[in-house]
Amino acid sequence: MPVSQRRTLVRPPLGRKEAELPTSHLGRALTIRGILDTEGELHIQGSVLGQINADRLVIGAEGYVEGDVIARDVRIVGRVKGRIFAYQVTLDSSADITGRVFHHLVTVEKGAKIDGRMPWRPLNFFESFEQPPEAQS
Amino acid sequence: MSVFTRSDSKDTTIRPATEKPEVSVTTTTPEFNRATQPVQPVSHLTPVQSQSMSVISKALKITGQLESTENIQIDGEVEGDVRGVVVKVGQNAKVKGSVYGDEVELSGTVDGKIEAKKVVLTSSAHMSGDVIHQDITIQSGAYIAGHCRPEYGKSQSTPILSRPKEVLPRA
Repeated sequence: MPVSQRRTLVRPPLGRKEAELPTSHLGRALTIRGILDTEGELHIQGSVLGQINADRLVIGAEGYVEGDVIARDVRIVGRVKGRIFAYQVTLDSSADITGRVFHHLVTVEKGAKIDGRMPWRPLNFFESFEQPPEAQS
Repeated sequence: MSVFTRSDSKDTTIRPATEKPEVSVTTTTPEFNRATQPVQPVSHLTPVQSQSMSVISKALKITGQLESTENIQIDGEVEGDVRGVVVKVGQNAKVKGSVYGDEVELSGTVDGKIEAKKVVLTSSAHMSGDVIHQDITIQSGAYIAGHCRPEYGKSQSTPILSRPKEVLPRA
């Protein structure tokens, strides 16, 4: 089943209490190749090669993501290579990003490494977010 | 209700004997350290913790392969193969693909193969496919459609930990 084609990245998923959606943790030693899809929270300490759809996402200090990240709220402490589409983005001082960060609200801590552009997008871009456009090379 | 409290009542019968393969599962007495630990091992509130075990919660669906040199708890849905050391597939979890590990405990659904030294199928297990094992426990109520073969380590099947780990770029 493909990931939900149209979703809003501005509000939390409707009809779901946060308490009902336990957080998923991907440990240091875990490597996933493929698509991750959740309406809850996801913490990544391991490696993900592929696409991530989440409500809230934390990429921990040892986390590494290669591919597209789509979420409402993203906090990055580790490394990302690829595109981020998120209403709210927080880049910690140890964040290391190669790619683009599409955002509406962004916080960047001193020390974060960003190699790429950080395009701002209006609210309606995230209100009805469809699948990310094909990457231009 | 949290998924982590789900199996409390069964805990004494399905408790895996970590690093004690000679002890039968059903007769294993609760270990002291396990007994004193809190029931919920995962805090949902701590934002970043260096927790090494992986938990695929019921809200998460993964299409692709999972590989870990540590333990994996699956409560969500996985379409693809899973490799870990101790792999637990929870009651409402679904795996469409093969599960490899040293120890696999199944309480949910697997549509594929299980290949592990030690296999536990609990009463809610639904297994469609073959089970390749060295030591198996099947509780009353478990569903199995497939063969159980005590051939773990005898065929060409590679133990997960000796597989060359793919090198990911590190900054």
